[in-house]
Amino acid sequence: MLVVNNLIKRYGKQNAVDDISFDLQGGEVVGLLGPNGAGKSTTFKCIVGLLRKTSGEITIGGFDHLSVEAKRFFSYIPETPYVYDLLTVQEHLQFIAQAYGVKEWKTKANELMEMFELDDKRDKLGRDLSKGMRQKVSICCALLPDPQLLFFDEPMIGLDPKAIKNTKKIFKELKEAGKTILVSTHMIDSVEAIADRIMILKEGRILGNDTFANLKQQFVQEEGTTLEDLFLELTKDE
Amino acid sequence: MNEIRLLFRKDIFILINNIKLILRNPLRLIPYGAFVAYFFFIYSQRMSSGGDSGSSDLQNMDSSALEQVDFGTQNIVGGLTLAALGILIFQLYSSTKKNVSFFKMADVNLLFTAPVKPANILIYYMARSILPALGGSILFIAYTASQMANSFDLTVGNMAFLILAMALFFFMISPIRFLVYTLHTKYGVIEYIRTGVVVLGISMGAMILIPGLMAEKFWQGMFSWIASPWFDFFPLVGWSRGIASYLFHQNLILSFSFIALYALAYFIVVKLVIQFAGYYYEDVLEATNTNEEKLEKAKGKKEVDEGTYSINSKKQLALPDFGVGAKAFYWRNYVHSSRQDFHPLFGIYSLSMAGLGILFAGLSHFDWFSHKILNVYLIVILGIYFMAGIGRTSIGDLKKPFFILIPASWTSKFWNMIKLDIIQMALFASALVVPSVLIAGLSVGLIPSFLISILAFYLTGFAINFIPQVALEETWDKKLIKPVMIGGIFIFGVIPTLILSIIVFAVTEQFVWALVTMSIGMSMIAGILLHVSLDVLKRLEFREM
Repeated sequence: MLVVNNLIKRYGKQNAVDDISFDLQGGEVVGLLGPNGAGKSTTFKCIVGLLRKTSGEITIGGFDHLSVEAKRFFSYIPETPYVYDLLTVQEHLQFIAQAYGVKEWKTKANELMEMFELDDKRDKLGRDLSKGMRQKVSICCALLPDPQLLFFDEPMIGLDPKAIKNTKKIFKELKEAGKTILVSTHMIDSVEAIADRIMILKEGRILGNDTFANLKQQFVQEEGTTLEDLFLELTKDE
Repeated sequence: MNEIRLLFRKDIFILINNIKLILRNPLRLIPYGAFVAYFFFIYSQRMSSGGDSGSSDLQNMDSSALEQVDFGTQNIVGGLTLAALGILIFQLYSSTKKNVSFFKMADVNLLFTAPVKPANILIYYMARSILPALGGSILFIAYTASQMANSFDLTVGNMAFLILAMALFFFMISPIRFLVYTLHTKYGVIEYIRTGVVVLGISMGAMILIPGLMAEKFWQGMFSWIASPWFDFFPLVGWSRGIASYLFHQNLILSFSFIALYALAYFIVVKLVIQFAGYYYEDVLEATNTNEEKLEKAKGKKEVDEGTYSINSKKQLALPDFGVGAKAFYWRNYVHSSRQDFHPLFGIYSLSMAGLGILFAGLSHFDWFSHKILNVYLIVILGIYFMAGIGRTSIGDLKKPFFILIPASWTSKFWNMIKLDIIQMALFASALVVPSVLIAGLSVGLIPSFLISILAFYLTGFAINFIPQVALEETWDKKLIKPVMIGGIFIFGVIPTLILSIIVFAVTEQFVWALVTMSIGMSMIAGILLHVSLDVLKRLEFREM
């Protein structure tokens, strides 16, 4: 579903993403972990085309990631939720429905708004929403087109406990529905439960990319090691 | 007075830290150095050319004789007074809607929660607000005076009184605004104050209209009242004029008397504010927050609010879909515009701007104004749309990830992003130029050339900002190449077109031919830039603010 080959993103002389390669098979859920500044968000943005890659190759569903065909495959939930000031919550969903050609969008939009407790805010303007509300709108917009591949970049930042619980529930439902997910988060336990594979990034390079069990065997080999322990071990400063 | 010492010490620390920052990176002084060099250059040029032409003619003229014979000077004095009156009335009216704040959010978080006397904090910050007023005035006067260096003797005294006149005017506005809002929160008298401001505005309008109608020609009489010496006693606006007129009369006592009037007024206002403000923290919270956001936007730390100036934001809409794919952007802009104004295609802003043009045409028809005013107005509108094109790159769809993510071709996304602007412009330009040309009896050639010019100027403005933003990497190259690129577009495109238009105007003495030349030239530039824009569009990157 997603193939990334030798991706480099350079800012000046510094490589924010330093020659990384990986792929995601259809139906796979992969957790992308890494300390602040590891290059997770930059990787996401290069894949979805928000940033220009310095070099490398990225394909989504067999198409170049910048092509219109590739864009039909995926949705992206950014770390910072961007909404239009003068569009209401419902109008954001109508906008996305038009853009992606979603038929019968109203029923789906109502379900999503209900799930994220936005139904009473449907007529609120974007500029009047709190950051958490904006994040919820952003998630709803990403889920509305029912994409095959989802990129979640720190989706739980700013969400209230109930919304976090709902997002975790959605991860599970999406996994059961056979969707492919790449999710970056600092809430390691939320990935541990659902991820088929873990990818650990530091200073723009992939330190480990395997199942949790294999990574544990490879790097720690201690009984009772959690993903958090493994993450801290792999990303500790030399 | 402990608080005053505390705050003074804090400001000294801030000043020291700023100086340290400058010392650490002296390169940041380069733009200021360039300004100083520019002012010095203009001063020296003007002074030398002024020396050739003899002495300062304007300064030596008898100001009482001026109003009888020199309508030009009367209109300059009247125009400046009117501008100051406009600012004053606008500021007073704004104070009935929203409070003014002297504070920063750091003050709210750290100072308002501390055991300090609110009144002392207010006194300190109110007094300190003279500094930005003075700084702004020094810059403004240094710039404008450099342009007038051959007409006036720019002695220390002249400059000092000019700076004081401007600084005191702006300095006094904030405490008065604060007082108005304070009276409102304490006594709920906002409606009375608002009515008073409206009456003041109408009276000022009448003071222009009545003498204008009484005169042989409207423009000869319109400023005869507000430009006359007795208007110097009108609070703030007149007082500042009285201080600045030292330039003409060189009478220290007279100008100092007006400064004394300011001092007295300030003392009274501060006394009243302290008496009525009470525990004012809540009153300034919203204004402080808004100021902080504006500052962040100005520094580029925060995304520009595209909902600013929306006058119909509460409007409920139930618009059907316009189509699939990139058409969603046109729909989005349509919804946005519906809330920004009363009609998405032709709103109150367009109506008032078109109305003003038609008014000029009407006045020209009855020979109250020269039709040249309308010509200048059309040029100003072109300038405004050029600037609007430049600003379009910084807001809206291009600043949202959706523009990149949505599955549609770049060309269709681009077209749907600007489609509504083009329709709005075409409607507005037609509503302005068609009746104006017919009423004023001007050449019909102005109609197509103005319509083409407005679109060309908008697209050129858009592309000038957009192309370097997208095509250049976010490195030093961008900082160096961007001015070269923009300069190149101006030097080889826009400026030759403007010069050619001026030459055509000089030869034909017909504004219509100048505009036709401009429309052809600008269309060619816009066409080339549009082609480049579409070419680089796919390189668009999303940048977090």
